[in-house]
Amino acid sequence: MVAGGRPRKRGSLGFVLKPMKRTGSQLVRTLILGKPNTVLYPEQKLDLPQVYRGKHVLDFKKCIGCGNCVTICPNDCMWLEKIDDPELGKIERPGVDLGRCLFCGFCAEVCPTVALHMTTEFELANDKRDELKLGPKDIRDDAFGSTFTEERQKRLVPVLDLSKCNGCEKCAGECPEICIAMMPIEKTDAKKPEINLSKCSSKGICAEVCPEKALTMTEVYESYFEMPEPKLMLDKCSGCGACARKCPSEAIYMYEMPGTEKTLKGGKKGKPKKRAVFVLEKCVGCGRCYQTCRFDAISMSGVER
Amino acid sequence: MNLFEFCYGIIHWLVDLVNNLWYRLGDVLPWYFGDFFTGVGDFAASDSHLSFMTILLESIIIILVALINVLNFLWIFRKISGRILDFYGPYYVGYRIGGWLQNLADGIKLFLKEIIVPTKADKLGFFLAPIIFVGSSLLILSVIPLSENFGLSTNSSGEYVPAGALFALAAFSIAPFAILLAGWSSNNKYTLIGGMRSAAQMMSYEIPLILCAASVFLLAGSFNFVDIVDAQRDIWFFVPMFIGFVVFLVCLIAEVEIVPFDLPEAEAELVEGWTTEYGGMRFGLFYMTTAIRSYAGGALATALFLGGWQGPSLIPDEIWFLIKAYIVYTVFMWLTWSVPRIRIDQMLGLGWRRLLPLAVLNLLIAAVLKTGGWF
Repeated sequence: MVAGGRPRKRGSLGFVLKPMKRTGSQLVRTLILGKPNTVLYPEQKLDLPQVYRGKHVLDFKKCIGCGNCVTICPNDCMWLEKIDDPELGKIERPGVDLGRCLFCGFCAEVCPTVALHMTTEFELANDKRDELKLGPKDIRDDAFGSTFTEERQKRLVPVLDLSKCNGCEKCAGECPEICIAMMPIEKTDAKKPEINLSKCSSKGICAEVCPEKALTMTEVYESYFEMPEPKLMLDKCSGCGACARKCPSEAIYMYEMPGTEKTLKGGKKGKPKKRAVFVLEKCVGCGRCYQTCRFDAISMSGVER
Repeated sequence: MNLFEFCYGIIHWLVDLVNNLWYRLGDVLPWYFGDFFTGVGDFAASDSHLSFMTILLESIIIILVALINVLNFLWIFRKISGRILDFYGPYYVGYRIGGWLQNLADGIKLFLKEIIVPTKADKLGFFLAPIIFVGSSLLILSVIPLSENFGLSTNSSGEYVPAGALFALAAFSIAPFAILLAGWSSNNKYTLIGGMRSAAQMMSYEIPLILCAASVFLLAGSFNFVDIVDAQRDIWFFVPMFIGFVVFLVCLIAEVEIVPFDLPEAEAELVEGWTTEYGGMRFGLFYMTTAIRSYAGGALATALFLGGWQGPSLIPDEIWFLIKAYIVYTVFMWLTWSVPRIRIDQMLGLGWRRLLPLAVLNLLIAAVLKTGGWF
């Protein structure tokens, strides 16, 4: 009982007639005027909200096969599967084991390209354990993403294609927020625009100005998770290019380092050594480069090998 | 034609049919066997045998009608509880008739279950308690007529059991003994507490109930159901004795042991109380018997206070009686799902300090009405 105050006086009839009035109106509402609130489940179904976390659906065309979903899964119920797709060629796409899934939705939240969604479909029971394991082809639905608006925040940011960039510094000069700085790449001749995305106001002037169209304005979904960034240890890098080939988001470019040519026998100079250059705006933090590098030249905190 | 004549006709016809065989056998067979079969035929045609079989058939018909009503009552119980708590209630079994067949399905399921007797239970008491409980509850129904023509009578003039109302009230109060027996013989603390509570409840609620019934007997001047209903031709008794009617209904709920007064089988405190150790169809019988007793209670309230089968003659008398009993039962259910169970320490206080003075007051009103010459 709540302390203080005079106890409300209620006669013995108030204990009986008041509740009876309440239940009587309920009875009239449910029996005579209308129907109960209950949903007759197999025939009717609840209108579930969009954010309901049910069966997974994967957009094959958006998915880049980075494996962030596999890494973040707390129950270790996702895996990457190599498949041959007639349209997309040899790709890697994730599958889900619904028998172990706890439907936390981390995989959908961490997906950098919003290719993985969770639908409102909840009738997933099966009498065989094997059929609970859904491969990438079972959860494929390329059209699902267009059926609703994504809840995650996205913004227009310039994304750099470093292979086209010629280092003209026009973008840095035109940027109204002065958030682009041309930084020389260590041990190479080239320069690379470093974009401070926290200052960027998404006006797109840099993309308009760029003569080579190396900068394009792209909608990027903001991640809820802080993803690790790769760092290159230049003295160890052999320039083999394995990381650039493995990178799912094509954020690694190989640059030649002049002055490192070996002198061959005939006095000729060989090809210069290469180094990897990371474009961190594109990086999704999957750690593939770190796992691939055989020379321990890339360090990435928080990623398992 | 009343029920006795109807049953007597059937029995007479059957006995004639079979006696043909007996007498023919008596003619055909040698004297020793022939005498025996002739004797059998004579016994079958005797008055005592005929009336005994007639009364048996009558009681079977009455119990069948009661059991069909009990199915309806269980359906109403589940449907109303569902709708008041905002869900559908029985729905799929018997979809076209509102889930009416659900109780039959549950009964079949209970029949298939194993009957378990606790090792340390008193076997005889454990076996007898359901029999007494169900039997006494069916006994109440045997004396309650549905109309002047539909009731258990012993002769063709249609005179029912002379003190039918008293007999019904007496049969009503046998059940607590069966409950006490069940509670003791189950050898379980919950069942024992449930049985004791039942006894205490009977102590406190039987007396106001009988006093209210006594005021009705005073006004009607008879213990017979037919006379009591006839006395209500001008005005139903619940109008002059409204206090008595309310007290009677409250005491009936306590007698029937449904929710506000279901202390003997309080699920929350006593894990189904005295029925804890009973499983399978024995539990099903208890469940059914609660509905039988509710039906009997509704019928008693109808006959004593609501004018019995009195009503416009558009509908047959029996249907009028049943409609009134159903309405009383629906009010019971409405009350059941509205109020919480009373505490054990409030139970005796409510019975002795509130209901008993009101019942005495009601008896006083009845005495004043009777001496004033209005009835």
